[in-house]
Amino acid sequence: MSRLTRRDFGKNGLMLSCLTALGLPRGAHAAPAGNFLDKVKNDPFLNRDDIEHAIKSYYQTYNCTTPYHHKFNETITKWHLRSLQFCIDRKIEKDHVDHYVAIMVPILKRVKSRVETKGPDAALHGMFEGTTCSYQLFERIEVKPGERSFPCPYNYLLQQCKKYLGTFTINWEDVCSKWCIPVWNGFAKEIGVSISVAPGETCSVKLKA
Amino acid sequence: MAEHIMEKTACTETTPATSEHQAGRREFARKIITAAGILSALPLLAVPRAAEAWMDGNFHEREDLADAFKVLVKTYSDTVPYPHKFNDALVKAQLSDIDFIVGKGLHKEFAQHYVDTLGVLINKYIKSGVESFGKDIFLWGIFERTSCSYQLYEYITIADGKRSFPCPFKPILDQVQKGMGTYRITWDDVHTKWCGLMWNGFAEVAGVQIKIEPGETCTVRVI
Repeated sequence: MSRLTRRDFGKNGLMLSCLTALGLPRGAHAAPAGNFLDKVKNDPFLNRDDIEHAIKSYYQTYNCTTPYHHKFNETITKWHLRSLQFCIDRKIEKDHVDHYVAIMVPILKRVKSRVETKGPDAALHGMFEGTTCSYQLFERIEVKPGERSFPCPYNYLLQQCKKYLGTFTINWEDVCSKWCIPVWNGFAKEIGVSISVAPGETCSVKLKA
Repeated sequence: MAEHIMEKTACTETTPATSEHQAGRREFARKIITAAGILSALPLLAVPRAAEAWMDGNFHEREDLADAFKVLVKTYSDTVPYPHKFNDALVKAQLSDIDFIVGKGLHKEFAQHYVDTLGVLINKYIKSGVESFGKDIFLWGIFERTSCSYQLYEYITIADGKRSFPCPFKPILDQVQKGMGTYRITWDDVHTKWCGLMWNGFAEVAGVQIKIEPGETCTVRVI
């Protein structure tokens, strides 16, 4: 058995500390040197001081389970349905869609410039998971290259509104053909891409080749 | 909005309750009947049922909390160009539609449509609640009792005969005007051509009068 000299011990110790130091950034998800030390400090979510209001709103919402389970998108979905009902009653649903697309033009132009640098999938990112208007409306969004799919928020809630309020006459097909599809096509046109929409309980939007 | 009252009333009628719960309800109903007389009290029984059905305590049994929590984290991590809140998309949807409707000159009809859509329930439940339990029931019904409010207002301060809450519209209208510049409405339009018309419409159906003090913190009182 070889004897461990003081010099060997020092050499091994130095090597170990170097290896440990090299391993740390990898453990911190390969962040640029030094950034991992500030992750907590710089995390936008952890720095919010107004989250309690959101938690309370969610608790109130998810604590309502009769006669159907309420979700975080309950009110926005009802709002869209109610507006669509109003517009269809007055035959102004096309103007409604055109107005919505028109007010979004500055954002759609920014998305268009991202498409030019990053490719057409940036169009779907800008229309879906990249905007609160979608990720606060759709319970989840499945992201695949050139395709986004999500559970339709409208069908189930429209049935509930018809059953318990009795003041809605539009049907699910109206929502697809007079709101969702024309809005998405209007966005796509401004961005400069073509899409196809497959409506359903799980709705799918794909980039056309 | 108050549609939950009808929804939850319908459910409560068929949901088995505990004996303690039933005893409490019976006691409550007896008091109403004693005070108001059997015939006039019967429609009022729906209000306590609706109140009991609200916040039914099944939060811990939900299996879809993960999706909601992910949306919450995503929203509150979105701090550029301004800190987004849980009501961001809802407020933007409302502002966008108000902008469209005001541009068409149809804001009175739009507010009336909203009131008509929900007024049936206000007439059926809140109106009788006001007659029985006082005017504060009206504010309860249109504010803290309904997802249309607690998903819109960040918080609601409750005082007897008065509700106040931070206006959700101003900060986002300011942001969209700064970032996009495509809205034509002003904050004053939101008060006068939407909130005020809608709340007064509900109040008329319920048979109460209200006073609105718009502002960064908006206050609604029953008179």
